[in-house]
Amino acid sequence: MNMFEKMLSWMPALLRATGVTISLTALSVSCGLILSLFLALGKISKSKVVQKLCGAYIYFFRGTPLLMQLFFIYYALPQLHSALTISSRFTAAWIAYSLNSAAYLAEIIRAAIQSIDKGQLEASRALGMSYGKAMRLVIIPQSIRRLIPPIGNEFIMIIKDTSLVSSIALVDLMKKTSQIQSSTASPLVYLPSMAIYLTITAVLTWVFNCLEKKFSIYE
Amino acid sequence: MSMIKVENVYKNFGTLEVLKDVSFTVEAGEVVCIIGPSGAGKSTILRSLNHLEKITSGKIWIENDLLDDRKDGVNLVKLSSAERASILLKTGMVFQRFNLFPHKTVLENVTLSPIHVKGLTKDKAETLAKDIISRVGLADKINEYPSRLSGGQQQRVAIARALAMEPEIMLFDEPTSALDPELVGEVLNVMKKLAESGMTMIVVTHEMSFAREVADRILFMFDGSICEEGKPDEIFNNPKNERTRNFLKSVL
Ligand SMILES: Nc1ncnc2c1ncn2[C@@H]1O[C@H](COP(=O)(O)OP(=O)(O)OP(=O)(O)O)[C@@H](O)[C@H]1O
Ligand SMILES: [Mg+2]
Repeated sequence: MNMFEKMLSWMPALLRATGVTISLTALSVSCGLILSLFLALGKISKSKVVQKLCGAYIYFFRGTPLLMQLFFIYYALPQLHSALTISSRFTAAWIAYSLNSAAYLAEIIRAAIQSIDKGQLEASRALGMSYGKAMRLVIIPQSIRRLIPPIGNEFIMIIKDTSLVSSIALVDLMKKTSQIQSSTASPLVYLPSMAIYLTITAVLTWVFNCLEKKFSIYE
Repeated sequence: MSMIKVENVYKNFGTLEVLKDVSFTVEAGEVVCIIGPSGAGKSTILRSLNHLEKITSGKIWIENDLLDDRKDGVNLVKLSSAERASILLKTGMVFQRFNLFPHKTVLENVTLSPIHVKGLTKDKAETLAKDIISRVGLADKINEYPSRLSGGQQQRVAIARALAMEPEIMLFDEPTSALDPELVGEVLNVMKKLAESGMTMIVVTHEMSFAREVADRILFMFDGSICEEGKPDEIFNNPKNERTRNFLKSVL
């Protein structure tokens, strides 16, 4: 087998593992986004208690290593109480990445909401909208365009951060790469693997550029 | 019955006293212009009428409704946010910087609140909106986004947007101050037509010729108080207060 054929022969296994990487990222960022919207609204709410709680959440998840959060959820929780056992490695990773990305996304969303001119909220209130309606109809839709680039960035970060799941023996692209590497002792396996990561990043960048254009029509 | 009654209103921002014992009334159909130097508290009193500022003490009635908690004998009856919202629907507001919703077209700007606050159907709201938009002379712009309009056109959309909620009182806070001089006229004309149609209006303005021509009454504010009030003729031709005289000398 020449070099090229060798790399091609690894492809099916690598692509299967890529499925894990992509689905973990997509599920985590989606769940993280939903949770982060509530965290962001909590962080700017009038209630000091809600503000503090959301602040503490964000502080915790941004202030401790992601790998430690992952270990804590997968290894430590079952030992604290058996009801907290998460038997699926994928689910454990999904929870850890969702909770973690929610903290980062919450700060992104809060900043975007607060960057909207306060005259927009005043005009909404003067037109009879409640705070909730003003947020839903006026403020949040306007912040979406400003959110797209940093959310795209977060996606790319998470794609690469998912490589940490190899440490709980979940077979993602990274894990599969190192498995092949150790069984074949061939340094070449890193090349197709990197190409896959780069392809995913390129596609994501393209999608988010398109989204940004689509949401910029009114400017 | 007065449309608006303001009684002994005080407003502090921290230790800064911005409104000091302000009282006035506005009758139905009246056009009242508020003039005065920068920092006098003109915007603050206007914003208080729409609850964008919360007054420190005093009372504000919109028609017969007190815009605050009221005493019922010895009990304090809290004004619920639903009650407040229904009182505030009687006033519409136009801002110096338009504050149109940039992500909505002209038509959507005007129909948003009728649909989502008043519960009108989209069809009804659009029929109403198109009529109002053509009254401010922008029938050909309904599908444009605000960023594609001139300042004067944007301010006319803002007026249409407020009118679409069918308020009984319109509040204007320096509606032409952010406009290039050549665009001021088109906005003032719309306001003049509105005044002629019998709308009750309170207009904070630096456009003295507009105040002189359109106002039924002028309030001159200085340092948080109403220093002088009267018919335009009295205020402009025969001001009694020294401060009014100085102010008019500086702007005319
Ligand atoms: N949110 C605020 N916090 C603190 N001070 C404020 C606030 N809003 C207004 N002020 C102060 O209150 C005073 C009155 O302000 P206001 O905006 O009512 O004046 P104005 O008569 O409308 O002036 P202008 O002609 O410049 O618009 C000013 O001294 C201003 O600095
Ligand atoms: Mg002002």
